[in-house]
Amino acid sequence: MPLTPGVLGMLAFTLLAFWGVAIWALTRTLRQESRKVEMLEQQDRLDTYSPKALAELREWIERNPNDPLAAEARAQYNECVDTLETTDQHFYDWSDREIESLERL
Amino acid sequence: MAESEAKTAREEWGTRFGFLMAMVGAMVGAGNVWRFPYVMGDNGGGAFVLAFLVLLFLLAVPGLMAEVALGRYTNKGVIGAFRDVLGPGGMVGLGVVVLLVNIALMSYYSPLIGWTLYYAAHSLLFTFTSSGFEAEPFMEAFFANSGLMIGLHTLVMASVAGILILGIRRGVERIVVYAVPALVVSLVIMTGYGLTLDGASEGIAFTFGIDWAYLTYSSTWIEALGQALFSTGLGWGIALTVGSYLREYDDVPLGGGVFTAIGESSIGILAALAIFPVVFAVGVEPDAGAGLAFVSLVQVFPEIPLGGILAILFFVGFFIATFTSGLLITEVSVTTVAEETRFDRTQTVLGICGLIWLVGLPSAFSADFLDFADFIFGSWGLPLATLAIILVIGWVMGPERLRVLAVNKNAGIYVGKWWDPVIKYVIPIVMIFIMGYFAVDEFGTPEMIGGMLVIILFPIIGYGIMSVVDRTATETDTAEVTGGDD
Repeated sequence: MPLTPGVLGMLAFTLLAFWGVAIWALTRTLRQESRKVEMLEQQDRLDTYSPKALAELREWIERNPNDPLAAEARAQYNECVDTLETTDQHFYDWSDREIESLERL
Repeated sequence: MAESEAKTAREEWGTRFGFLMAMVGAMVGAGNVWRFPYVMGDNGGGAFVLAFLVLLFLLAVPGLMAEVALGRYTNKGVIGAFRDVLGPGGMVGLGVVVLLVNIALMSYYSPLIGWTLYYAAHSLLFTFTSSGFEAEPFMEAFFANSGLMIGLHTLVMASVAGILILGIRRGVERIVVYAVPALVVSLVIMTGYGLTLDGASEGIAFTFGIDWAYLTYSSTWIEALGQALFSTGLGWGIALTVGSYLREYDDVPLGGGVFTAIGESSIGILAALAIFPVVFAVGVEPDAGAGLAFVSLVQVFPEIPLGGILAILFFVGFFIATFTSGLLITEVSVTTVAEETRFDRTQTVLGICGLIWLVGLPSAFSADFLDFADFIFGSWGLPLATLAIILVIGWVMGPERLRVLAVNKNAGIYVGKWWDPVIKYVIPIVMIFIMGYFAVDEFGTPEMIGGMLVIILFPIIGYGIMSVVDRTATETDTAEVTGGDD
């Protein structure tokens, strides 16, 4: 029985949507891991947040200064800022200008 | 609650690959192999795939991100993580609910692993391709042999204990990094071979044919919902436990969420490609569950060239799929009990595996009891556990707090604000809907009564246990993260 174009199309879409995404995610996360390991061999710490995520963390701290976890969040924020200012290589895509504009909380 | 001074620092996954394979190995189980392919073909093929994909990204991916993130954030098992969020006291009993559900789940899953072990052993002996072999009488004789069933259940639990005693890195990780790829390879070879057979295209057409009308049927969405939630193991405490062993700079959302949900579902797709071309090529009626694996497929192997080799690939792969799930389901209880008591890991493993073995005896003795337990826990027990975990994250910890503090920290992908309402509202509503749907559908049956007993008694038992256990701790400790703003 010859397969119809509809069946073949669905098969291709399914393989792409599942195996394509799974292989992309696996490759990307393993590459990121290798990069982190490589960077940690050269410097003892890594920036922990992307620019967008760090901005959001700051915004959350400013909105919730009395939250039970605010102190911990502040420590995480400051740790990331310190790392960005004291290390040469950054895991996330930080520009020099963005780093210069950061302030500890 | 005092921790033994002899206890050493918490273990971590040795490699990123080890963590990823543990997640996928835990989630890929019998359902991916013997249920998903048939459900897909029986519910509109491509239409079902679309519904399933939407629900995976809407519910399973965000839910798994949340569960892994809570584990990584607290670096504790289920009860410890709940205590960090809720503060000591009876409410930590929600963690006990998750534990009880896991023990119950493994009690009937272990005999099922025994079935796959038995068929894997017979595939290696080329029993299925020997002359005069008949699939149905063989299966019936096997299910009627209670002694053999109990023996297999014992062997499975002893093997699980033997591996778990070695720990996370030397035990679990060492197995999953080989087992999961081996499962994929065996299914790929089976697929490649099956597609060369005459009539294989009918199997492809059954599975991937599209009937868009199915997208308008509620039954398609209910099936897709069940598959998206139960197949990914969302909210069973497995992702939380596996995530608690992540290392400092490890990502959560890309590996723990996207890869786990989509990767484990991909194995279901591969199983469909491996099974149905072969089944249709021989003209055997497609089926689901034990009927598919132990009758339909077994009838197929003698009819095709190299059928004996194909049987080995299938049943050894099937055994691997179920066994790795069993390992991680048991690890949920082992991790948290070892943390919460003075017992060391070896004592805890032996105690938990012994308890599961004992509770599992009725399921090993009778396949009917196993079906009964599976229905009760599949319909109400597991959704209850999911609800417990998601409520703790969504309504006590607060999704926004978890997202900014843990999910997006060291993340491989950025998770935006859309995630918060999914965790807080969508997943809990869906879980309540599932429990309600099954309760109405099974109203008045022994299964429904059993399910209601689980829903009522497990939280009461959990609350009672943790009220007593945490009473002294309450006087000295305070809740670490109670009172989220979002």
